Amino acid sequence: MPTPSKPTNVMAPLTTAPPQVQAIMVQVLKLEQERLDRSDRGLVNDAILKIVKEVVQ
Amino acid sequence: MKLLSLKLFNFRPFYGEHQLTFAKGDARNITVIHGNNGSGKTAVLNAFTWALYEKFTAALASPENLVNRRALAEAKKKQPIECFVEVAFEHDSKQYRIKRSCRAYRQGESVEQTSSELFMQFVGDDGRWSTLPGSQQPEDVIGRILPTSLHKYFFFDGERIEQIVRSGNRSEIAEATQKLLGVKVIDNAIKHLTNARKTLEDELDGIGDAETKSLLAQKREAEKEATYLQDRQLEIDQELTNQATLRQEYSQKLLDLTEVQEQQQRRELLEGQVTELRDRMQEAKKVLKRAISNSGYTVFLPAIEEKFRAIVKDREDKGELPADIKQTFVQELLNRERCICGAELHEGSPNRKAVTAWLQKSGLADVEAATYRIEAQVNELARQREDFWQVVDREQANIGRYRQTLAKVEDDLEDIRDQLRQSPREDIRLLQQRLDETDDSIQSLTLEKGANEEKIGRYKLEAQQLRKQIKDRKLNQSRQKLAQQRIEAAQEAIDRLKQLKANQDERFRQELAEKIQELYGQISFKAYLPRLSERYELSLVESVGKRDTLVGASTGENQILSLAFIGGVIEKVRQWSAEGLVMGPDSSTFPVVMDSPFGSLDEIYRRQVAKLIPALADQLIVMATKTQWRGEVSEEMTERVGREYVLLYNSVKPDCEPDTIDINGKAYPLVRPSTSKFEYTEVIEVKR
Repeated sequence: MPTPSKPTNVMAPLTTAPPQVQAIMVQVLKLEQERLDRSDRGLVNDAILKIVKEVVQ
Repeated sequence: MKLLSLKLFNFRPFYGEHQLTFAKGDARNITVIHGNNGSGKTAVLNAFTWALYEKFTAALASPENLVNRRALAEAKKKQPIECFVEVAFEHDSKQYRIKRSCRAYRQGESVEQTSSELFMQFVGDDGRWSTLPGSQQPEDVIGRILPTSLHKYFFFDGERIEQIVRSGNRSEIAEATQKLLGVKVIDNAIKHLTNARKTLEDELDGIGDAETKSLLAQKREAEKEATYLQDRQLEIDQELTNQATLRQEYSQKLLDLTEVQEQQQRRELLEGQVTELRDRMQEAKKVLKRAISNSGYTVFLPAIEEKFRAIVKDREDKGELPADIKQTFVQELLNRERCICGAELHEGSPNRKAVTAWLQKSGLADVEAATYRIEAQVNELARQREDFWQVVDREQANIGRYRQTLAKVEDDLEDIRDQLRQSPREDIRLLQQRLDETDDSIQSLTLEKGANEEKIGRYKLEAQQLRKQIKDRKLNQSRQKLAQQRIEAAQEAIDRLKQLKANQDERFRQELAEKIQELYGQISFKAYLPRLSERYELSLVESVGKRDTLVGASTGENQILSLAFIGGVIEKVRQWSAEGLVMGPDSSTFPVVMDSPFGSLDEIYRRQVAKLIPALADQLIVMATKTQWRGEVSEEMTERVGREYVLLYNSVKPDCEPDTIDINGKAYPLVRPSTSKFEYTEVIEVKR
């Protein structure tokens, strides 16, 4: 998982994002990466909604 | 993923327990498993795919019978016999051990087999083997390291490897590539974040005021329309690809018919000309656009230039230009209180008054300098205007010429079509009719695509404006404000992910395509070129003039393309992972396990592949017969071989002819008569 501390031009949209937006992006990407090969597709929308709500309080 | 070892127990032809340890060094990363046909090479490949993914390759006969027959025959009736495969591997400096097992027992004449169970262990931080926590499934852990849908690109049968690039599998390989490169992860993130944003908007809709609700409803509508059209665009792209393939097939069929071969060849030539002319026309239009954008404004300036020149002339007539005396010089004289003629310039004297009057006039020196500067610019503009008109005249003449030629070529093409439409032979008429139909489809699809593109742009702009209006609404209640902020944050994350994906796409597609082209070019002698479409669809094209035509490649060419693809992906993922760019599976090291390598390639191709693959793959396990491991392959690979095994087949055939293989000057048995009444295979390690 690339971390925001490794800036490259390609990753600029992630590395230059405001803190809250960056936190959402990193967490959502991690979640999607973990479930890339999983068959249980049901709960992803709730999980992502939870990420956004937890980051933006 | 680096494979460490494989343990087989009563699996297929392997009676009892057998273990193989794999080479994994940087210099020696190849493990060779020698075996005759039928000795269990395919079983070894399938041991990996079954254990890791519960999958089998097409070459494995009766995959429902996994338990060794001798072990079953020696068991009592209804006594369960276990068979298992254990794979040890290393990932991210952590060791894993997975074991898939099943049992079978004899039930009269038939054999009943249970479904399989998967068990995983790993070396924990304390250095001891631990089992997975209950919340984790072994399948998920493996899937994160090397997803199920990608396994066939790393565990494969060399004789059938061309299957992965066959046109019918194009979307499958594209999907796999996107998954490996992590593009799929970003796609999913965008999709699911968009759903989350919609839910947040619904929440705001529930608590917001009437105006906010109305704006949200309009925005949803615009987005719905855009999404519908975007889906349609994907369908159109797919359909355009299908139609182009069909067109290629019909054209090839016509080329194969001797009666119309000449016309078809001429048609292809003319079609090449059409493409070239259209390209030139586009280029000319580009030049025109550039000229208009850079110096088109100069054509509106003559009136202003005239005005400027008139002002200058007027000043000249009045003697104000050129200014013949400098202000600093006059000031100097006044300071010195003495003129150059020697006259005193004391305060209040008439002489001083006269010289002071020059001060007014000499102020024009600045005007003069500015005038000359502007004059130079005005002259330059006039020159640019002249150049501009020259470019316009030249390019318009070119476009006119191209149009004329194009019309003539189109007429010639239409003549050929007419001839074929009226051919006395029904099959020719039919092929031409089909070509006409595909051309019509391509044309209407292309038109629809263009119109949709415009509409999508409009809807997106509308949604964007509405989004801004919603954002700018002054909401009083804190709940509404919070909902608004969450929507905004989600939307910005979506926008940035889209940009990130666009950045990745640009770099990945180009570099991957170049790598595949480079590898393909190193192996193949054909002047074909692998292409990666916008959606990572891989195809082989041939450049005819300026036009790329899809190639109906042979099995051998497709095998080379497949290997170049796998090698290219492995190398690029490794490189991009090191740069922190890949968000795909949690892996940057890939093993390649190949049964019957080099399929139907001839000697020179085999040598090239044998040289390239070990250099590309992080680790290579090859199962080969004596013939497949002959001369050029063994010559190219031997230096990198770290471990070797021989599959010794114990045959029950009464007239069984023993066979051996010479490795490092020592003969190893490949086939020998079985000491029992069952055939089975043993694994023998080659001493190095």
